[in-house]
Amino acid sequence: MVVLAWGVAQATAAPPTEQQVKAVFLYNFAQFVEWPATAFANESAPFVIGVLGADPFGSDLDAIVHDESIANRPMVVRRYSDVAEIDNCQILFISTSEKSRLEEVLSVLKGKSILTVGDTEGFTTRGGMIRFVTEHNRIRLRISVGATAAGQLTISSKLLRLAEIVPPGRT
Amino acid sequence: MGRDDTPIRRKLTAIVLMTSTLALLFTVASFATYEYFAFRQSAARNLDSLGRIIAANSTAALAFANPDDAREILAALKAEPQIAAAALYDREGKLFATYPESPRPEVLPDSPDRTGYRFAAGYLEGFQPVVQGTSWTVGTLYLRSDLREIYARFRLYGLIAALVFGVSVLMAYLISRRLQRQISQPLLAIANTARAVSDRQDYTVRVPVADGRELGQLTEALNHMLARLQSQEEEQRESQHKLEAQLGRLELLNRITHAIGERQDLSNLFQIVLDRLQDDLPVDFGCVCLCSPSADYVTVARLGARSNALAAELDMMEEAKIATNQNGLARSLKGSLVYEPDVTLVNAPVPRRLARAGLRSLVIAPLVAESTVFGLMLVARHGQHAFSSGECEFLQQLSGHVALASHQSQLYEALQTAYEELRKSQQSALQQERLRALGQLASGIAHDINNAISPVALYTESLLEREPNLSERAREYLGTIQRAVDDVAQTVARMREFYRPREPQLILTQVDVNNIARQVIDLTRARWRDVPQESGIFIELSTDLTSGLPKVMGAESEIRDALTNLIFNAVDAMPQGGVLTLRTYLVSLSAPEGEPETRVTIEVGDTGVGMDEETRARCLEPFYTTKGERGTGLGLAMVFGMVKRHSGEIQIDSKPGIGTAIRLSFAAMTAGSAVAQLPASHLPARRMRVLIIDDDPVLIKSLRDTLEADGHAITTANGGQSGIEAFLSAELRGESFAVVITDLGMPYVDGRKVAAAIRAASSSVTIILLTGWGRRLLDDNDIPPGVNRVLAKPPKLHELRMVFAEIAGRDPMAA
Repeated sequence: MVVLAWGVAQATAAPPTEQQVKAVFLYNFAQFVEWPATAFANESAPFVIGVLGADPFGSDLDAIVHDESIANRPMVVRRYSDVAEIDNCQILFISTSEKSRLEEVLSVLKGKSILTVGDTEGFTTRGGMIRFVTEHNRIRLRISVGATAAGQLTISSKLLRLAEIVPPGRT
Repeated sequence: MGRDDTPIRRKLTAIVLMTSTLALLFTVASFATYEYFAFRQSAARNLDSLGRIIAANSTAALAFANPDDAREILAALKAEPQIAAAALYDREGKLFATYPESPRPEVLPDSPDRTGYRFAAGYLEGFQPVVQGTSWTVGTLYLRSDLREIYARFRLYGLIAALVFGVSVLMAYLISRRLQRQISQPLLAIANTARAVSDRQDYTVRVPVADGRELGQLTEALNHMLARLQSQEEEQRESQHKLEAQLGRLELLNRITHAIGERQDLSNLFQIVLDRLQDDLPVDFGCVCLCSPSADYVTVARLGARSNALAAELDMMEEAKIATNQNGLARSLKGSLVYEPDVTLVNAPVPRRLARAGLRSLVIAPLVAESTVFGLMLVARHGQHAFSSGECEFLQQLSGHVALASHQSQLYEALQTAYEELRKSQQSALQQERLRALGQLASGIAHDINNAISPVALYTESLLEREPNLSERAREYLGTIQRAVDDVAQTVARMREFYRPREPQLILTQVDVNNIARQVIDLTRARWRDVPQESGIFIELSTDLTSGLPKVMGAESEIRDALTNLIFNAVDAMPQGGVLTLRTYLVSLSAPEGEPETRVTIEVGDTGVGMDEETRARCLEPFYTTKGERGTGLGLAMVFGMVKRHSGEIQIDSKPGIGTAIRLSFAAMTAGSAVAQLPASHLPARRMRVLIIDDDPVLIKSLRDTLEADGHAITTANGGQSGIEAFLSAELRGESFAVVITDLGMPYVDGRKVAAAIRAASSSVTIILLTGWGRRLLDDNDIPPGVNRVLAKPPKLHELRMVFAEIAGRDPMAA
């Protein structure tokens, strides 16, 4: 409903910006990825979409996630400034501000069931799971299955279809 | 096969066809309907599933705004050729991706409609939400399926179905035409058979047995029934034949019974029966035998007309005797019907003879009357076992009828005989009665006449005895009177001859036949001369009396009577007049003992009508007369009787139209003949007291006179009562009578009572019964008790005197 309302609102307004779309995509990933049970503390633990680093989304992400739940878990947005702050997060957008420390961040997050999403160049080759690639005015996805596998995250094939797959072992 | 288009075949074919057609139709229709709806359902479901799949796959594309991916996904729909178009709309309802890539603008709706698939004209379309997860709708999917092709394909199926249907029907028709024969043929056969049976009454036809259980059972059952019907019909025919045969025999029995019913002649009866049997039953040989009284043989009484030839062979001609024991006849003689189907198996002479003559079947039927077998009826045929049980029964019944009829005829004969005898005896009884009546009459007359002539006799005798000075002529006249009176008495006495078969007491004297002849001529003069003369008839008397003829021992009056009778007959025989001859002569005959016999013959002849042979033979029979009402038929009989009593002979010569001569011949008296001498008249005995009892005063007077002349003391009483009184009073007085002479026939108290009373009063008195019935009483030995003597009226003096003499001799003291 929110989406639609948002869509309608957007229809009358200006076409969505890139960041808005990405924000939507982030939210959408929740639907197409499976986190293992161990990713959550308990059953009523919220579903966290985190932003690490500079938040490009502003209030968009909040607006999208607001009052949403998934699998009876309320969805919340958390912002992190440091990777160490991340304790319970399912989707983590790593902004480009972290691009220099990316491997370090990723290595910390390695093995954790956190879907790492970024639009930094070489995100997926550097160990990230999903990268936003903007081509021809379209946002395309690039997914590293090795990374996702390492994180015990199962990506829906539907998502994988759309994306460019980075095979495991290739960086 | 041919044009076997009979109704049943058509029906069966039609049934099969219709059944199969309907079945097929129904099948096709059901399937078609089912297919249609199923198809629609599956089409819808398929589209739905397809939609779901596409939708499910398109969530990411929509979620991530990847129209290429979406298009790719939709492009997969190419695999489903019936998918005419598909489209994905995003969350805002904007067209996101299409299939085909550039569809015709009117095909795709602008914006999504409600969820669900709907059938529209020729296609199926619908919207489906694209949902990721459970409730995250990311867009809408539109699918459009083109049904037209499907329908085309359906039509093709329909055509095929129709074709198949047609072929099936044709096949069904052909097969049914082939297969219905299994049913229709047997049925037609049955129908034909039934028609044959009902039309022609032919029960020998059979239905060809059909295959199959039911039809086979039916045909078998039908054949069974037909067989039963056939055998029943045969049985019926047989029993019909038997009935007809039985009827025929009954008819034959009836005919025979009728035929013999009229017959009284036994042998005729048998003949008819045997002839009928031979002709109508038929038999080859038949005979009837009668049993001997001792039943040890039977005599062949009658043979069938055509059986004579065979009978000769069999030695069984009429009158042949057949012994009964050891001849196989014993059983039939006990009264049972014997049937020998094959006589060659019987070891006995008669059956063997029959077998030799070629007769092998034999039936012996006993003829039974009153529980006795009196005869046998034998019938035989050439063939063996040739008599059926029905025929044996018939013969049994017939023998019953024959026995009855012959018994009846015998009975009838016996009845006839008995009737004849009865008639004769009745006649003779009638005659007896007549004679008795006559006798009664005669007795009465005799009595009266005797009474009447008693005085005449008495006085005449007395006169002749005692009257002196009788002139010669007076003496002659008195003599004639006495003789006449004597004759009257004798005649009257002899009237009894006609009703008394027994010989009267004959007083024989020496008789001179010439004298008698003369006397008779005199006595009968009126008859042979005077009476005819009055009628102008002249009878000439010719006499030829040989003189010097020896005397004959006989009763004068009887001979006189006989001669009188003969002369009367001679006169009666000459109604127109003629010559009456009277002759006497001597005839010498050589007797077988050696000594020649001389007979004195008196002949009376006439030239009258004469007698034919029959009359001559019968003229001596009593009551045989040619004089009709006038004649008693007793005359010649009396003559004959007289002649026989005299041990004489009578000869009659007669020729019709010439005349008659009757000769009476008597043995001439020889010197040594015994002569019954008249007892010498006794002189009156001594005087006795005599009581005379009678109701006739004239007689009393005459008796009194004559007896008083003899010197007796006479007392008279008129009637029985006064007689008894007179006697009793005399007894009382002591003047008992020595003799009582009483009449028998007196009114009130008759002679018997008188005798009884007097006898009771005195045992010594002699009672003489004097009666007009005198001779009869003597003959009958009917002398009443107490009576000593019976004398007949008219009383003869010498008789009376004899009695008195006897009394005197017996009882000299009586006085």
